[in-house]
Amino acid sequence: MTRTSTNQRTDGQHNDMATIEMIGVRKEFGATVALADLHLSIGSGELVCLLGPSGCGKTTALRLLAGFETPDAGAILVDGDDITTVPPRRRGFGMVFQEYSLFPNLTARQNIEFGLKVRRAGKAETAATVERLLTMTRLEKHASKFPHQMSGGQKQRVALARAIATQPRLLLLDEPLSALDAQVREHLREEIRRLQQQVGVTTVFVTHDQHEAMAVADRVAVMRDGVLEQIDPPRTLYSRPASAFVAGFVGTVNRVGARPEPDGWRVLGAHVPAVGEAVTGTAVVRPEQLAVQRANGTPGVFATVTGVSFLGALTRLTLDHPDEGPLVADLIGPEADGWEVGDRAIARVRADAGSVVLQ
Amino acid sequence: MVVIGHAFAPNGVPGLGAMSEAVSGPFRSPFRNSIVLSAVTAVIGGALGLLLALAVKDLTRPRWLRPGIDAWCSVASQLGGVPLAFAFVAALGTQGVVTKALDAIGIDLLGTGFSLSSLAGLVVVYLYFSIPLMFLVVMPAVAGLRETWREAATLMGASPWRYWRSVAAPLLVPPVLGGVLLLFINAFSAYATAYVLDSSGQLVPLQIRFVLQGNVITGEQDLGYALVTWTVALLAVGLAVMTLLQRRAARWAQA
Amino acid sequence: MSAPAVRRSRGGAVARWTFLGLLALFFVVPQLAMARFAFQNVPVVMLDSSTVLQGWSAHRLIEALAEPELWVSARTSVVLAALAIALNLALLMPLAVLVEVYRPRLRPLVTAVTLLPWVVPPIALVVGVAATFRQVAPWFLASPLSLVPFYALWAMPFTYRALDAGLRAVNARTLVEAARSLGASLPTVLVRVLAPAMSAAIVASAGLTGALVLGEFAFASLLLKNTLPTYLVNYQRGAPQAGMALALTVMVFTAVGMAGVVHLLRRRGLGVSTVGV
Repeated sequence: MTRTSTNQRTDGQHNDMATIEMIGVRKEFGATVALADLHLSIGSGELVCLLGPSGCGKTTALRLLAGFETPDAGAILVDGDDITTVPPRRRGFGMVFQEYSLFPNLTARQNIEFGLKVRRAGKAETAATVERLLTMTRLEKHASKFPHQMSGGQKQRVALARAIATQPRLLLLDEPLSALDAQVREHLREEIRRLQQQVGVTTVFVTHDQHEAMAVADRVAVMRDGVLEQIDPPRTLYSRPASAFVAGFVGTVNRVGARPEPDGWRVLGAHVPAVGEAVTGTAVVRPEQLAVQRANGTPGVFATVTGVSFLGALTRLTLDHPDEGPLVADLIGPEADGWEVGDRAIARVRADAGSVVLQ
Repeated sequence: MVVIGHAFAPNGVPGLGAMSEAVSGPFRSPFRNSIVLSAVTAVIGGALGLLLALAVKDLTRPRWLRPGIDAWCSVASQLGGVPLAFAFVAALGTQGVVTKALDAIGIDLLGTGFSLSSLAGLVVVYLYFSIPLMFLVVMPAVAGLRETWREAATLMGASPWRYWRSVAAPLLVPPVLGGVLLLFINAFSAYATAYVLDSSGQLVPLQIRFVLQGNVITGEQDLGYALVTWTVALLAVGLAVMTLLQRRAARWAQA
Repeated sequence: MSAPAVRRSRGGAVARWTFLGLLALFFVVPQLAMARFAFQNVPVVMLDSSTVLQGWSAHRLIEALAEPELWVSARTSVVLAALAIALNLALLMPLAVLVEVYRPRLRPLVTAVTLLPWVVPPIALVVGVAATFRQVAPWFLASPLSLVPFYALWAMPFTYRALDAGLRAVNARTLVEAARSLGASLPTVLVRVLAPAMSAAIVASAGLTGALVLGEFAFASLLLKNTLPTYLVNYQRGAPQAGMALALTVMVFTAVGMAGVVHLLRRRGLGVSTVGV
């Protein structure tokens, strides 16, 4: 196996960053097709999130990369070398699991050392690496604790340190935050991103949480029923989703009727440019693309406010529209003040909303 | 309490006479036999019970198998007693069905000196309830070995052997030792099976009965009490060690 | 050791199934052998492979069942079992509730104490208690009912653990606090709230105690009482094959009963291991 891209990092650490390719990968379990013809190409040092509902094939893809499963068809390449049949222990990858993956009979330090010892790294080198990782993950004080003495967040930091200790060519993260409290989760995902960039390791991060994916990824791959729906940077994914499924999965959406007009579409009484092709005549409008005004005797179609939730920076209104059914609108600033359930309002697409997605 | 008092004060006079007599002379051999019988049963039963647990750990295919084995083991682990002894007489006794079947294919079981009342015979019978008991004790620990540990170790470059040595074995040692001790205690105090197979046997529980039922001479009675005291002391130490080991295993299980 | 397909090698599967098969043989053969002794109307000496199909009949069992003495000792055993169950529940249920609800910190201690009967082999227990009572109240040991405290004590580890597991499964603490806040007295809580909620655990502990008592030999034999197991031993001496028929029947009944208990526990989400050991 040749290692092509060796980079000198600022912290003086050598890392082998690798490009990963999955070409036409297919995997079936009995009668179910977990993955149908997956093509995925990940650049060196990139962090790609596999995002999708449970059963979409994201975990299968990760396990295929790790080598715990063998594909029924297709190939997996690392830096152009076919590793499809290379057993997991010779792949040189690191992995963080959902939960409970630390060896309970070993301390934090011993867990981190494990891979280095298995590879017979020198004593001094092992010690230095472990110290550096303990510092990087702020675990110095917990080095001699056993897993059962640590909090969930600390355990996952140890798991992360353990996974990158052997300087893997690819880091695999299997829903590493799903078992943690909301606050710890948010904090740790920043930490994962920071570490990943510091070490520069190519990373595949599996999650079903869109916020998590959007927050950490260079690119997000949205999967559905074993098929890759779209892979793009978070911003692109949000502003130009390739399908209604993607739009719905990476945020809250309203589905409303759309009528063709010259140079665009008429949606909720406003003219909007649109992407996609109208097959069913439905537009996908995000809550923040809606403007809501009080119905002060102006003529028009009125929606009724059915709920007001104050969410800090924004206020979310739920409305009942006589033509379109339930709608969700996010308001900020003065627009958001003074709404009450039962108010009558006009909802329309903002003039500055940009394009909406058609279905 | 009364027993221990008697044991340490034969004929009302404090002294260690009875205690030392209970493990010397003619009584040395029952203790030795009982310990050997219990230890051999515990080790073999422990090993086979552990193997059984490992063998069914990730067996999902006939779906009735796991619940079936669980239920059978919880029943069989309590089957030590009169009917079990009868069953083995029917199978491996001098007129036993298996004995004859072996004879028909040219293996003379009795000719090898095997007898159900010998230590080897008792071990075979005791295994009948020891293996299921071991299975019940270690199954939670074996089932608790997570697949992710193996996968994590593998991905870090560890061979299967390395995974077993560094992770699985250390985790299984406390519950396995605890289970073996439990088997030892259980076998040591088993009475009914031994009584049916060899009522005048050279085993501690049978000897205690022997001494106490013929309790005409007062000294003999104190001797019986001394035997009991030794037995309880031995088993108490076993239980203490077992509790310690299992507490350790439970701590790991939380992680 | 790469993909699952390779990990579960063919050789491993063969070894595993051979091992399971041999163990199954070890467990089944003695029972089958006993069945042949019991239900084949063939002299023991003739029971070899050529006579496998000959003379199967239940007449020995019927013969054995006709003995009036059997029913006397069986009734003694059943009465003993019932009393032991009642005594055990009456003593341990309040104790378990007390510990679980009011003094959870005492639980490790109480659990350890309830395990003690395991360390003391039956024979030692008999010797100790007999020594005590012979001096204090010699009449006590004369009645067959004197076995009840022994059995209650001996079954304590099983009963206590089953009850403890049951209490934890139904979240007894919350239940008791809720009932008390509604004005129920403690006995009312015990009988009307906890007992129905943990009926599975109670049935299980009763079943285990019953099975143990019905099969118990050591105490009865040492104290020279006539219970079902001691009767079995004596009867089998005189009528070997009929004795086996009877023993097999008793064993099957016990096994089915215990399997039923295990099944009940499993359905209530209680593991066997939390109760049995």
